[in-house]
Amino acid sequence: MAQQLVTSTGAESAARAFRRTPLGKRLFQHGAIYFMILPAFVWYGVFCYQPLYGVLLAFKDYKFNLGILRSPWVGMKYFRQFLYTTEFWNVIKNTMVISLLKLSFSFPAPIILALLLNEVTRMRFKRVVQTVSYLPHFVSWVVVYSLLTIVFTPYGGLVNSLRTQVFGLEAMFYMGEKQYFYPMAVISEIWKGVGWGTIVYLSAITSVSPELYEAAIVDGAGRIRCAWHITLPGIRPTIAILFILATGGILNANSDQVLLMQQPANMSISQIIDTYVLKIGIREGRFGYATAIGLFKSVFSAALMFGANYISKRLGEISIW
Amino acid sequence: MNTHPIGRSRSSNRIRKSFGLRAFTVFNYVFLTLFAFATFYPFWYILIASFNTGRDFARGGVYLLPRVFTLDNYAKAFQNKQIVDAFLISVGRTGIGVVLGIFFTALLSYGVHIRTLPGRSALILYFFITTIVSGGMIPYFLLLRGLGLTKSFFIYVWPSIFSFYNMILIRTYFDGIPPELRESARIDGAGEWRVLFQIYMPTSLPVLATVALFLGVGHWNDWFTGAYYVTNTKLMPAATLLQKILQEAASQQSIKPGQETSVYYELAQSTTPQSLQMAFVMILTMPIVVIYPFLQKYYVKGVMVGSVKG
Repeated sequence: MAQQLVTSTGAESAARAFRRTPLGKRLFQHGAIYFMILPAFVWYGVFCYQPLYGVLLAFKDYKFNLGILRSPWVGMKYFRQFLYTTEFWNVIKNTMVISLLKLSFSFPAPIILALLLNEVTRMRFKRVVQTVSYLPHFVSWVVVYSLLTIVFTPYGGLVNSLRTQVFGLEAMFYMGEKQYFYPMAVISEIWKGVGWGTIVYLSAITSVSPELYEAAIVDGAGRIRCAWHITLPGIRPTIAILFILATGGILNANSDQVLLMQQPANMSISQIIDTYVLKIGIREGRFGYATAIGLFKSVFSAALMFGANYISKRLGEISIW
Repeated sequence: MNTHPIGRSRSSNRIRKSFGLRAFTVFNYVFLTLFAFATFYPFWYILIASFNTGRDFARGGVYLLPRVFTLDNYAKAFQNKQIVDAFLISVGRTGIGVVLGIFFTALLSYGVHIRTLPGRSALILYFFITTIVSGGMIPYFLLLRGLGLTKSFFIYVWPSIFSFYNMILIRTYFDGIPPELRESARIDGAGEWRVLFQIYMPTSLPVLATVALFLGVGHWNDWFTGAYYVTNTKLMPAATLLQKILQEAASQQSIKPGQETSVYYELAQSTTPQSLQMAFVMILTMPIVVIYPFLQKYYVKGVMVGSVKG
């Protein structure tokens, strides 16, 4: 104990002495450290900051031979063009519909699952369920999509063979029908993410003070009342933060999943901003226009997140900054 | 994880309450069992489908075990040059990507964890800003093209070396190592590199394994880069090839005889397209299924660290 005290004060005074040494010398002493950070510094410059400068494209008529800087300015042309296209409202609407559906169904799902898991007293059972529930998070969306197609295919798929052999109904081509696109998107999103989503909530639940439960039990509260009146309010800050972040992602709508599920049959309701940008930019090569749409999306996403944060703060909830 | 406080005092509850409680408990266990089943069963379904002959499977009714067992689907998958090449690309990018990613992220984490470093907070800010603002897909694509990466294998390696989140995970772990360890090693004449590789890295194996899992899963699962950014089809990883096959299968319904078809058409068609597909999906899923349960303790902790710091 005494030994520890001596070394820690020794280290502290050494650190204080260190801070007094001139900057040049300190920089020199940390040469090896700077050298270790250098690759990351360069990498971030190239892969994160260079594209930021590339956003200028949104205001330029990009000519490959001139480069970004010397291409002629076009001002807000692309933004106006996007606002006046017939695609605009459709793309915005699709993005919002998919996101709001997911926000109302796949956002609460892990909260409910975490509350239910929290009520399990058999630890072995709980652990097995948790381990299984993490699996879909680790597989690719391509795999999830192929599971979907195989489970729902009319050619020997699980759902359709149940329909025809057990219930005597006609086989349905779920993946190709427009009306099933949204339900499929939401179900697969929940299926893939719900288990993984519980981790954060379960860790928040463990930090709720056990004294609250003891007091409630003394007052005669049952499990469900405890969950409703203690656990849920206890994890409200966590829910608020994740909700604010989810609001910022409303215009994303998970392009990975949507891209995979897009088919000519459902294109009119599945074309979202990100997939539209890919189509315009990479498939058609209209870089300036596509960058402008991307920028439009980022600006609105940021505004949404600030808005949600502001409302959360006004309602007396937590704010993320 | 301690048991639920109410569980401990169950016996002291009155009879009327304990009936409601028991009903809820039964419902809860049944529901969670069904949930676990619904999560796992699709994988099982594909597994038995991949070991069943395709023609028999298409008749429907195979639910629990293969009806007509065969290894043909796997044999076909492993004989197909396109599939084998794609898996070689996947294995290569995952191996190289994980090793380089861990190496460079450890360097960065070690660097920014040193509190006496002049300019440390400015550097962290420089790295942090990129998690909030980004240039978007098109400027990023033009950058990759400008660097010549869209025609190169290294498009799978360099752009995914660093992630702020992984850096935070490793740095938090490094912060927990007593600084005296580094100081005394430095006094004994060890350089920073030696401290990192002989003291820090060996004591940080749990977190390095977690980051390796995250990096590896990211590489193994990434189909997007191969599908949209890469122009050379020889560089297609397995996940992208699967996406192309699925796309082809989906549009097959609309293809009329004699119409022009793409190179994946044949792959999607070959006698039992679905069962070959399922063998493919299984080969793509198996490595993950085998590895992830063993690291559970660590990545769960990692997610918590991330949620506190982020």
